[in-house]
Amino acid sequence: MPKPLLNLTWQTLLADYVTALAWSPDGSRLAGCSAAGEVVVFDARTGASMALQDKQGLSVDAIAFSADGKFLAAAGQAGTVSIWQMAADSAELSAKLLTQLENPRVWVDCLRWHPYQPELAFNLGRYVQVWDAVEQSVIATPAFETSSVLDLAWHPSGDYLTLSGNLSVKTWRRDDGYNAPEIRETGGASGAIAISPDGQYLASGNNDRTLLVWEWDNPYPWQMQGFPAKVRQLAWSTVQPQGGSPLLAAACADGVVVWAKAKDADERWTSHVLDLHSAPVTAVAFQPQSTLLATAAEDSWVCLWQQSTQAAQILEGAADGFSTLAWSPQGKYLATGGCGGEVMVWGKVMTGKGFG
Amino acid sequence: MVAAAQHSVPVTVLTGYLGAGKTTLLNRILTHEHGKKVAVIVNEFGEVGIDNQLVIDADEEIFEMNNGCICCTVRGDLIRIIGNLMKRRDKFDHLVIETTGLADPAPVIQTFFVDDEVQTQASLDAVVTVVDAAHITQHWEADEALEQIAFADVILLNKVDLVTEEALVALEQRIRGMNAIATIYRTRDAEIAMDSILGVNAFDLGNALKIDPEFLNETAHEHDETVASIALTEPGTVDGDKLNQWLGELLRDRGPDIFRMKGILNIKGEDCRFVFQGVHMLFEGRQDRPWRPDETRKNELVFIGRNLEEMGLEKAFRACLVGGEF
Repeated sequence: MPKPLLNLTWQTLLADYVTALAWSPDGSRLAGCSAAGEVVVFDARTGASMALQDKQGLSVDAIAFSADGKFLAAAGQAGTVSIWQMAADSAELSAKLLTQLENPRVWVDCLRWHPYQPELAFNLGRYVQVWDAVEQSVIATPAFETSSVLDLAWHPSGDYLTLSGNLSVKTWRRDDGYNAPEIRETGGASGAIAISPDGQYLASGNNDRTLLVWEWDNPYPWQMQGFPAKVRQLAWSTVQPQGGSPLLAAACADGVVVWAKAKDADERWTSHVLDLHSAPVTAVAFQPQSTLLATAAEDSWVCLWQQSTQAAQILEGAADGFSTLAWSPQGKYLATGGCGGEVMVWGKVMTGKGFG
Repeated sequence: MVAAAQHSVPVTVLTGYLGAGKTTLLNRILTHEHGKKVAVIVNEFGEVGIDNQLVIDADEEIFEMNNGCICCTVRGDLIRIIGNLMKRRDKFDHLVIETTGLADPAPVIQTFFVDDEVQTQASLDAVVTVVDAAHITQHWEADEALEQIAFADVILLNKVDLVTEEALVALEQRIRGMNAIATIYRTRDAEIAMDSILGVNAFDLGNALKIDPEFLNETAHEHDETVASIALTEPGTVDGDKLNQWLGELLRDRGPDIFRMKGILNIKGEDCRFVFQGVHMLFEGRQDRPWRPDETRKNELVFIGRNLEEMGLEKAFRACLVGGEF
């Protein structure tokens, strides 16, 4: 194995399974939540921490910083969506609880901030609420209707909100008041969606063992088959190494498949399988501005794949398996979460050659 | 279909009409499992509650996997709930799923065989159906009532104190005609020994196929119901290729009408028993233990489903025997 790319910078322990990790846009703070219901903010460099919410029995499942870094939102099985206002000084970890939206009997496990506005979208059963964190008011409640909302994504332009569920993926325009959605059919339930950072492609991972990819303006998708089980996780690269298209990583059972669009006129997608993991893959993410791919799995390994092809390093330290991971927006740090509550932050090895 | 991992959490599915005694039975399970961590997923309101047990109220949600094929439906709500429950450090010892009186049990069962995420974390122990002996006659016309009996591994004939012995015997015969593999118990107030309904391992292929001997002894079954059981017991050896072809075609063409099937086969050239089970189009089979020297090698198959008579199962199976006509 080549020289290590990342070294452990710091680590700590939450009370239970780390359900999600999120970086502030400037990369100065990391936020994490757990199945015990904790919400904690860390200093990216030192690991100094501040608990915004103590353990409470019910899991907190989703966490995210707003695009301007001013707000942090978290939600989970209690049905409460909490929004904190972060201190202006990025060295300051404390935050002021601004809003608590109660939604009894609903699990809120998916929330995403608009790419540049302080608008938060989160799932409430069969519909989504879009909330203005500054005005503190509901902007819209687009209804998926036909099933529970399983995943949601904003288009990078900020003009569209896409929801996934059973048998379809639906996209609403933000500027027409979330009126009638555009519907894309899927063969089964779409459990994961991802829009490429350049806004060109929408991908849907489905429970019928297929992956669908649409060009944003084209109603006809490419269908990728041959997966041994449902496609659970998706990630797009920010860079476009081949012919102007980004790479797409899809996790399914113990494997990860990386797709790239061929340069030729056929516009076919070609793939290769990364099969080093021996237990279900829980998260996949490309390092920003690079083709370095990180994959986390329940086998207690995080694998780093150079050029999304070659295993370059294996990170360990979560005995019961890794549950999630997140690259800092500048690509400087990789945060990994463990099934036993481990939070570990890994930084670039300074002496080695460059990344990617 | 792939057998679930060994360390997975056992799951009991509780079906039956509202008022049949499901909630009473559920409370008995919870009392019995006192000290263990039990999670209960309920789809309709009832008086459930023992301290420290987690009760999750879920709206049943059917997900298609193959453009609406009923054999490939799963319960989206269960996938989500089980995935979330299993993240906790203090994992559950037992999961009980209570379905509504109007629920089709098939998607619940299929979820545990089709969804790989659920499969690695939980395994079906048994489908337990509570039947109101006094009122079931009012529900014979309802598909749900028939399906809940057809899919059951254990049937509690509850409220037996409210009906006559003759009525009970007739009811038992009728139920037996529909489902030849379920164990039937007569109960009052859903009072039953817990080891009769928990730890049954009904979906474990290694478990012996138990066809009610009375069902086999009865020469003429009254198949007046559309839902019925057919049991085949045949000596001889099976041609594996012919069997594969037949079962493949049968499940493809008649999968929606075949609720469950189980069998033990003597395959040509094999020293071990071949065991299989199916739920609609899902099929799972594997080599079992070797035939014992003192054992008479034979083939036993049970089908539970709708309109089985017209499928010509007996003739088609005989054609799969070595030397059989094809």
